Amino acid sequence: MKRLPLAAVLAVFTGWLLWSVSTRQAALFAVGLGLGAVLAGQRFGFTTGWRMLIEQRDASGVMGQLLLLALAAALAMPLLGHYPELTAALGPPSVSLLVGAFVFGLCMQIADGCGSGTLYKAGLGIPMNAAILPLFALGSFLGSLHLGFWLDLGRVQPVGLVNQFGWVQALLITLAALALAAVAVRWYVGRASQAAGQAPKPLLVRKWMLGAVLLALLATANLLIAGQPWGVVYGFGLWAAKLAQATDAADLAGNWFWSQGGNAARLQETVLMDVTSITNIGILGGALWVSAGKATTAKPLNGTQWAVALVAGLALGYSSRLAFGCNVGAMLSGISTGSIHGWIWVPLAFAGTIFGLRIRRHFGF
Amino acid sequence: MTQHTTLRLVFWAILVAFLAWDWAGSKPVDLRLEPPLIAAGSGQAATGGHCSMPD
Repeated sequence: MKRLPLAAVLAVFTGWLLWSVSTRQAALFAVGLGLGAVLAGQRFGFTTGWRMLIEQRDASGVMGQLLLLALAAALAMPLLGHYPELTAALGPPSVSLLVGAFVFGLCMQIADGCGSGTLYKAGLGIPMNAAILPLFALGSFLGSLHLGFWLDLGRVQPVGLVNQFGWVQALLITLAALALAAVAVRWYVGRASQAAGQAPKPLLVRKWMLGAVLLALLATANLLIAGQPWGVVYGFGLWAAKLAQATDAADLAGNWFWSQGGNAARLQETVLMDVTSITNIGILGGALWVSAGKATTAKPLNGTQWAVALVAGLALGYSSRLAFGCNVGAMLSGISTGSIHGWIWVPLAFAGTIFGLRIRRHFGF
Repeated sequence: MTQHTTLRLVFWAILVAFLAWDWAGSKPVDLRLEPPLIAAGSGQAATGGHCSMPD
């Protein structure tokens, strides 16, 4: 398919959303298209960036992600301070967060994609990620069914830096912590490259820097329009929940998560009214547009690799629900809006990634 | 048509079919209750679901 007719189809769908659903949802779909185009166009993969750091001592991807977090925080925190109707991505520090973040970091390396990565790669037409997407949704739904049990194991109230200290101090704390992380990463790659007898790779690479700037702007647009930060995982769980509801596969009315007022109401509405679902669909569309007219290459997988990838995709969905988000919902949106759960998520997911890379190598991905 | 293209078409056909099924079976959208285009400054609290929020 060529880009022009595809752009026309996407424009018609945006117009239909504007006419039949709402102006907000049409605007969020457009934001999603932009996110998908940037993620796919710049190949801005959170999973890849972490893998490059560990396996190749190449910190350019992680530096791009740190820039993204800093820019997003610099834009989001003043908005949160000035507009009380905007909400931060506040997840509760909990046992489920610790377990979920570790398992998510492990599985995202095997499945070669986090939440946004799975979406944009599915949009690009990569068979493994397209096959993982429905299992990600099923896993997210199963995680939501069990979330009440996991939270009973131990949780504290969410902590938000903007609420606690005001947006100026929250931003200064966040930027200082990100700068510290950048210094630590630079020190690590310098030392590791020296030990390997290689020259350190460049830290600042155009594709990652440009991707970071564009994603920060689009994430801020999402916050301004939706009133809440960019998220991915909730939409997946909702899609599977709607199918489960229609087929009587689960008692959602008696479930802790799905009987909450907002979640129960969303089960009755079309997913096109859900802010997370509409940006997810937009990301798929944006990535499809990028891939149009280009041949997408993907390494063929053997049977064992397929089985391992699909199980990892299911676990990816389950663990992201337990961890209160993926690299987008917990890391980017959590940290940039001052949620402590984002800062807990990152080291645990990174530890999981170290194990995930070993499993990935073992199965020859 | 390559196998890759066929798989891609199947993926999009399933997604579009799901969205059409969902639209047909869900509560109709009430355009009179349309949310504000921009939440910031609207005075209305955000009510969307998010992965970071359990309840």
